[in-house]
Amino acid sequence: MIFDKILSLKLFDNNSPIFKTMFDSLPHHFRAHSLNADVRTLLLLRKAMEKGLINTIGDMYVLLKGLVAKDLKDYGPFAVAFYDYFLNIEIKKGETLESAVARSESFKDWAEEYLLDEKYIEEKDRPTVHELVDKYLNEIHLTSFDIKKILDGAEIFNKDNPDLKDKLTEGAEQDNTERMLQEAADYQGISVEELLERMRKVAENQREAHNGGSHWIGSGGTSPYGNGGAAIGGIRVGGKGGGKNARAVIGDPRFYPVDTKVPLTDNNIDVALAGLKGIEEEDSEKYLDIPDTIKQGLKRGGIFMPEEKEKITQKLQVLLLIDNGGWSMSPYIKTVTTLFSKMDKRFAHDLKTYYFHNTMYNGAYKDERRTQFENIEKICSLHKNYSVFIIGDADMATYEVSKASVDTWKQLTERYDRLAWLNPMRESYWQSSDTVPFFRSLAEMYPLTPQGIIDAVLDMNRKRRYYKM
Amino acid sequence: MADKTMWTGSDLYLCDPELAQAFHMARVLGMPLLIEGEPGTGKTELPLQFSQSLNLDMHVYPVGSKSTVDQFVAKFDHVKYLRDSQVEVLNAQREERGMDGLSTSGRSTENLDDYINLGPGAKAYSAKNSVLLIDEIDKAPREFPNDLLYALSHRKFVMPESGRVISATEDDMPAIVITSNREQELPTAFKGRCIYHYISFPEAEVMHEIVRKHFPDADNELVDKAINLFYQLRRAGMERAPSTRELLNWLKYLQTFKKNEALDRIVKRSGLGVLVKTEKDLLKAQRFLN
Repeated sequence: MIFDKILSLKLFDNNSPIFKTMFDSLPHHFRAHSLNADVRTLLLLRKAMEKGLINTIGDMYVLLKGLVAKDLKDYGPFAVAFYDYFLNIEIKKGETLESAVARSESFKDWAEEYLLDEKYIEEKDRPTVHELVDKYLNEIHLTSFDIKKILDGAEIFNKDNPDLKDKLTEGAEQDNTERMLQEAADYQGISVEELLERMRKVAENQREAHNGGSHWIGSGGTSPYGNGGAAIGGIRVGGKGGGKNARAVIGDPRFYPVDTKVPLTDNNIDVALAGLKGIEEEDSEKYLDIPDTIKQGLKRGGIFMPEEKEKITQKLQVLLLIDNGGWSMSPYIKTVTTLFSKMDKRFAHDLKTYYFHNTMYNGAYKDERRTQFENIEKICSLHKNYSVFIIGDADMATYEVSKASVDTWKQLTERYDRLAWLNPMRESYWQSSDTVPFFRSLAEMYPLTPQGIIDAVLDMNRKRRYYKM
Repeated sequence: MADKTMWTGSDLYLCDPELAQAFHMARVLGMPLLIEGEPGTGKTELPLQFSQSLNLDMHVYPVGSKSTVDQFVAKFDHVKYLRDSQVEVLNAQREERGMDGLSTSGRSTENLDDYINLGPGAKAYSAKNSVLLIDEIDKAPREFPNDLLYALSHRKFVMPESGRVISATEDDMPAIVITSNREQELPTAFKGRCIYHYISFPEAEVMHEIVRKHFPDADNELVDKAINLFYQLRRAGMERAPSTRELLNWLKYLQTFKKNEALDRIVKRSGLGVLVKTEKDLLKAQRFLN
């Protein structure tokens, strides 16, 4: 009907050229939004189609989301990628889904056609843009699950129809049910156009029935969904059906497209936290391996020698060094400390925090106001397995980076393998700073963004080397 | 052929349509469904209610910090094996002296399968059309999910020592549900083998339905008031927001009183300890609600 791409969804024939051209670029497109799409995604998608799982664009949304979005933080980027790929709706940075939809061509075409309906001819009867977007999203997110529900609902409706009940015997009613069930079962063979049309009719019926006081989905506890009023307004199903997701994408900040490349703020702190949680920490210890002892002993004809095995336990220790001097750092300190203290609450591990101003001279301070000095030897006396995060803009006057300061940093970087510098300054400015390039030569530097934190953690894990306690 | 029809919840369980669809897709594709979400949003309930309402075999593996893939798949009983092989030697001697041999309860050291104790994973794979729940996988040691990869992508387990293979075809794969509370990030490769779904916290409207399913006879006014207070508490920004499970427990408690008394208890905030679990939160809740 309205969207070319919905129509082409009906052409999901494995060998059709449309499948090929449409999906060849899919992994690439979704990867560009930092999602995990690859050839396997395509194979699974194809399999799902063969099994008849995908009949509407809403099904596609649910399945693809299950396949490529592997974390809550992926839901935002996924929504962006999906709307762009399948509907040509580009959600710009910081833009809500609603306004992105409202200015898109596909929505405008759809709305135009929708408003051709005679009951909207009068200006005053027209729905607002907000309502239209709602309707549009509901149609997009319509899944075969919803369709089944509505057809099941129709079944209930038919059974509930008081006129029918008067005339029909028990047996006839049975027939009626079966007919509807058949209809529910073969919906896969019907084109999307027909389906939407049929649902519109069913919904129309429902509205009348509702006004007449008859039962509808949800009445008498036969269905888990909302009561009758939920279906007013055309295709929307069960109140919470197709529209739920769409609404969630607009309204719920957790579904709000989070850009993992913008600087860390209170809003994306949870995303960053998810990244931090990836720090791996292992610790090994030897213990007597009884099964192996017995096995080897039997091989030796009953001479038992102790066999040992490494036992691995997990541990996480973080050393945090924060530059809290100067105005350039102040917006980030609160966020950064919240981030790491949240970590502290969730894990039983050691977190040590130190503060410095611009750069370290022989040590750093234990408190935010920088009164309790602790020298670098003390800081370096922590276990070598600590993961070190340095948070600072590394931007200062060159004279500040004295030999004493450089030596202090070197002591730190020599002591700890797992060390990452997170810089809140925009990456493109790094080169133009006098001192950043120098600090980059000392430690790996990452931007202080959720993505930067994830990269830092991944690199840290790669460098993992284990030291005995 | 396992049952692959869409399951949409039961009398006791309100299944979010999107979750129902994800679960259905996972079953049809023979992939595990990985569910994450706040505690108490019914992650574990899904497979339990599914197996109950369709009367399917249910195998549960509760993951702990010491979980290993052996416990999940199968364990070879080395001690029993040692005992039985010693018994053989002993019996030969006893026979010479004309004594009765000791019993090995029908086990034979020739047959290694006799010494294998099947774990829930292997059991579920060998019983067709069953349900397998791997609960709270985030509690597992880091390597546990990775060790499961082989079984998940090849749909088979190799028994330790004996080398016997237990496998399932794509069609009769058990319905596998894996839950996680996100206390630790799961490996990407592992997530890649699963269909992922995040259960979001139900809105007040849906919560009414959930409560209705658990307490069909509960008084409307009571339920309204309780749910109202519950969402107020959730909005208070506490360290540990109360969950659905706790609301249901609280209502269960309130229902033991007569209506007026119960309403009175809501007003007086008594029994709030069911909802609020830390002292700091309790203070906050009291401040917030007054």
